[in-house]
Amino acid sequence: MNTIETTNLVHAFSEKEIALQGINMQVPEGAIYGFLGPNGAGKTTTLRLLLGLLKKQQGTISFFGKPFEQNRIATLQKVGSLIESPSIYAHLTATENLAVLQKIYQCPKQRIAEVLELVGLSGTGKKKAGKFSLGMKQRLSIAIAMLNDPSILILDEPTNGLDPNGIIEMRELLKRLNQEKKITILISSHLLSEIEKLVTHVGIIHKGNMMFQGTLPELISKQQQTSHLSIGTSDNGRALSIINDQQLNAKITAEKIILPLLPKEKIVQMNELLVKNNIGVFEITTVKNDLETIFMDLIK
Amino acid sequence: MITSFIHSFQSELIKKRRTAASWLMLMSALFMPALIIFMRMISFDSTYKEVGLKHFWEMIWFRNWAAMGMFFLPLSIILFASLITNLEFKNNTWKQLHTTPQSLTVIFFSKFAVIMLMLIQLFIVFNIGIYLSAIVPSVLFRAVAFPAQPFPFYPYLKGSFKFFIDCLPIVALQYLLSLMFKNFIVPIAAGFGLLVASLLAMNWKYGYLVPYTYCPMNFKENQGKIDPSIHLHTCALIYFVVFMIAAYILYIRKKEKG
Repeated sequence: MNTIETTNLVHAFSEKEIALQGINMQVPEGAIYGFLGPNGAGKTTTLRLLLGLLKKQQGTISFFGKPFEQNRIATLQKVGSLIESPSIYAHLTATENLAVLQKIYQCPKQRIAEVLELVGLSGTGKKKAGKFSLGMKQRLSIAIAMLNDPSILILDEPTNGLDPNGIIEMRELLKRLNQEKKITILISSHLLSEIEKLVTHVGIIHKGNMMFQGTLPELISKQQQTSHLSIGTSDNGRALSIINDQQLNAKITAEKIILPLLPKEKIVQMNELLVKNNIGVFEITTVKNDLETIFMDLIK
Repeated sequence: MITSFIHSFQSELIKKRRTAASWLMLMSALFMPALIIFMRMISFDSTYKEVGLKHFWEMIWFRNWAAMGMFFLPLSIILFASLITNLEFKNNTWKQLHTTPQSLTVIFFSKFAVIMLMLIQLFIVFNIGIYLSAIVPSVLFRAVAFPAQPFPFYPYLKGSFKFFIDCLPIVALQYLLSLMFKNFIVPIAAGFGLLVASLLAMNWKYGYLVPYTYCPMNFKENQGKIDPSIHLHTCALIYFVVFMIAAYILYIRKKEKG
């Protein structure tokens, strides 16, 4: 079952500024769903629509198979969120910030100490949140999102402002929450490299369109499909004909012969064949697209 | 709904801690009484004589309420209603608040309830201040007797209640403006402009139609200078209801909630 599902989600800020053009998103139960896209792709707009911060114009949004609008309060009871920059009261301490929400969620008071411990802010005492570093504010926002012991976490670029060590700690925390507490996590980022070690599923959005959606292995398989051999010879025309006689499906692109990846032995045999036919081979390269390249190809 | 409102109200009270609005309320309530205590202490001769006057408590009431009703009360409301609501814009917390499991109606009224609570606190502290402005000189100087007349509890309560009704349009309109505008200056400037306009309109035939004019006009009513066919307090209540309905509709229909 999908924990979060949207169909044909369309949103326009004005006639000229269409932010989303029919987003179909499926976040399976227990998944860590990485929502990727460059700045301005429509990630935050989608997440704000999911949380009811923007008025829905077209399409449907459902959580746990139930429409969000008719079940807003019950749904939000199970959701923790962090949208863009931290939302905290600068004149209050970390504990007071959490107490503000503890009153609304009516969760046990000891939950405040638990979540502060979880994000490493137990020792902040009477220090006002306004005096926290950006990283500390981000951690406090995560603590706020975790306070009601949610079934779903919706996090919009939660690693913004964190140092490399903080990013690793955040990643480990989210993994732990997902594995131990079975929390479904929807996390957005504009950097694939930042979340590829964390996510189980990926959605790639660009200019308001979903360019790819699937599991991480599916994305990796796409990577393998696009990896290839590139060969430079003294006579590409004849070389192409010889290679294709071997049923290898090669083609010429930018003065190079491009063909699917081959085992080492096959590459040696092909090279010998070309040399035997008096064709000079000056380059054989394996081109492996990493996930980042695929991501960039999808959003070109 | 009521339970949700109580929890939301408790949450709003935590947010109010250590805010400028809380200090402002206290300062507004105690400024005039403190000034009158000071004036009575430096004008010892008149202080010595006036405690025996028949209308002593009435005189103290008018001295305290003159500047308070005319200027400080509306100004304080303009400032603290705007400050309390602006907390969410200032801290970028509307989005967090709107993703909590509570209805928009509960959020709207719990925030408003905090402003009303502050207003009630202001009235209580101010009335305590009025009482202190009457007795502090007698406590400090043996020569000054305590007021001969008993404290007129009922007239004070009635008078305060009238001012309370008269300032409700200001509370509601300032709340509306503060909910709508992110920039803190907009509701303050609009409120200040309306307050000045209301002072200028006091002697105008239709001055009672200016929504911020009822507190200043309260004095004219007491002096019998207001046409008896004009029901100032009813007008204030009508404006209050209209502004509250408008504020609620605009808040609920806001396209972007943080």
